Amino acid sequence: MESYQAEYDKNGLAADTFWRTPQRAVPGRPCQRVERGEVMSGSSYQQFQASVNDAWDLGDDDIISGIAETKISKAISQTAALNVINSHRNSTKNVNKNDVKVESEIVKPREEALAVRKNEVRKIGGAPGSSGPLRYPGRPRPVRLSALTSREESSESKLERFQQVLESSVLDLNELKQLSWSGIPTKARAVTWRLLAGYLPANAERRSETLERKRADYKHLVRQYYDAEREEDTYRQIHIDIPRMSPLVALFQQITVQVMFERILYIWAIRHPASGYVQGINDLVTPFFMVFLQEAAPGKELDNFPLDSLTEQQRDIIEADSFWCLSKFLDSIQDNYIFAQLGIQYKVNQLKELIRRIDLPLHEHLQKQGVDYLQFSFRWMNNLLTREIPLPCTIRLWDTYLAESDGFATFQLYVCAAFLLHWRERLILEKDFQGLMILLQNVPTQNWTDSNISVLVAEAYRLKFAFADAPNHLHNAGKSDR
Amino acid sequence: MGTREDEYDYLFKVVLIGDSGVGKSSLLSRFTRNEFNLESKSTIGVEFATRSIEVDGKTIKAQIWDTAGQERYRAITSAYYRGAVGALLVYDIAKHLSYENVERWLRELRDHADQNILIMLVGNKSDLRHLRSIPTEEAKAFAERNGLSFIETSALDSTNVEPAFQNILTEIYRIVSQKQMRDPPEGDVIRPDAEPADVRPSGADSVRKQCCQ
Repeated sequence: MESYQAEYDKNGLAADTFWRTPQRAVPGRPCQRVERGEVMSGSSYQQFQASVNDAWDLGDDDIISGIAETKISKAISQTAALNVINSHRNSTKNVNKNDVKVESEIVKPREEALAVRKNEVRKIGGAPGSSGPLRYPGRPRPVRLSALTSREESSESKLERFQQVLESSVLDLNELKQLSWSGIPTKARAVTWRLLAGYLPANAERRSETLERKRADYKHLVRQYYDAEREEDTYRQIHIDIPRMSPLVALFQQITVQVMFERILYIWAIRHPASGYVQGINDLVTPFFMVFLQEAAPGKELDNFPLDSLTEQQRDIIEADSFWCLSKFLDSIQDNYIFAQLGIQYKVNQLKELIRRIDLPLHEHLQKQGVDYLQFSFRWMNNLLTREIPLPCTIRLWDTYLAESDGFATFQLYVCAAFLLHWRERLILEKDFQGLMILLQNVPTQNWTDSNISVLVAEAYRLKFAFADAPNHLHNAGKSDR
Repeated sequence: MGTREDEYDYLFKVVLIGDSGVGKSSLLSRFTRNEFNLESKSTIGVEFATRSIEVDGKTIKAQIWDTAGQERYRAITSAYYRGAVGALLVYDIAKHLSYENVERWLRELRDHADQNILIMLVGNKSDLRHLRSIPTEEAKAFAERNGLSFIETSALDSTNVEPAFQNILTEIYRIVSQKQMRDPPEGDVIRPDAEPADVRPSGADSVRKQCCQ
């Protein structure tokens, strides 16, 4: 992910400051932040200037265009600047309208929450990288949900938007993340995943060269590690696990497919000695594999698709791209798989603490029956819920994971919390340990579709916003609530 | 199963341990659901199932923890040995390495489980006659030397699965009930460190209630 991160970080602060200023005065915006209030509430021009200084250097038309009429340069006199500030303050409504208009040219006007949505795009766009959404705990809740609904209603226009973003010569990665968060159309998924994973560079000119090089690199790795003498324990474990990973799906019973998985996992394991191969990582290859297979065999029924009907080159691409995307994907959660799986143990404790705060009765019910969070949520975390939901849902869930701008490691915690809370009514009805454990290890998601995932991630998003940045506040709120 | 799930006289916690791929989960699904899949997904962390059986007119509920076989999971899974009164240590009769590792698994139990835990050595996949690499007699002798009970099973064709669980549960029951008769209130042959492992009565039987509390 570093490759694009750097170039956006440079702009991050500036865009951030820049966009906060007008937003401050937008009437009706829920949950205003006070943190930087002094910038506008004080009348000090110096303060204002300091806060926006580098914004003018951006040269980023995309960001500037929304309020082009207020564009000033450093050279403009103090008076002029103050005028701008004042007019800015007085015309925030107009600014907002303009924003919407600019957006709608791209989006094609539709549904309800455009204005809200617009702000969200800008906000995220303005604060890329790890600090992204966390800086905006006041972001209105229903945004994601409305975005999701619209997605299902108009997947065609969504695909168009994706194509527009993807075809631009310098990709706006934040816009792509924003679009992807609520689900990626099948046709745009493979390339979008490559970009979001940080495998494919944002700069369109560099893409084909990068792909060529990476795919050749992978071939080299295969020769170097897999075709050579193998580390016996690692290979044995992978070799045992692959045939049984999706025992009922014919696709995964093909030797060709199994060997592809074996190579991907073995090479990944050897190159990550701190963790090595851990059972369950095999399940994390599957979504990438399926998405790249879907790209190679568009519109085909994949459950029993004969891999040998693809050309060798097509298979190599699926394999190499799955490997690199998996590698990028796992980078942010490697501590899940190190000795004693400390990352997971830590997150399980966080989950426990979170549920205690969010839903004390449920938490106490689990505790009273002797259910330990580790007993059920370990697998959720280790396998990123791939064992708990159907494969198409996993793929949809990963649209969101890959689009999470601060990496999905934290977000996944909230997804697990939302997932647990989803079953809370049933759980409360279970009156003993066995009933609880059996339910928690076999939650009935067989009929889940994308829309269930959309609701799940929206809820996770809400929880993250409400809880991630304000532990003390929540602590107290939790107490007074009960 | 014969009894209502929530009524039982005794509750015993049993763990399934052994190398990856020897058939622990298959034994469990055969015993608790009478199901078998030639390939079942690898166990992540621990998985839980339960089944009740009758011994001497008493209902014994077995709470069975199926553990992941991979070394990396050891730190997580060993937490589940606590409070277990029985362990099925499973190897694959066709995979010599899984048998060699039995010693390591015994050490695991010594380090993390109750010292009085009953251990049964289980040679699974007995249907793979032509691939057998561990002679029955050898494993039997090993079990005797180490004070383990022994059985060979096949989760695939059901051979001995029922007896394996029946035997270990019955044996635990005998020890617990004898202990109870000898020194009623505070027996601790099977030391109940954790709640799921204790021998809990379902109803008014106060003698049992006192046992192992």
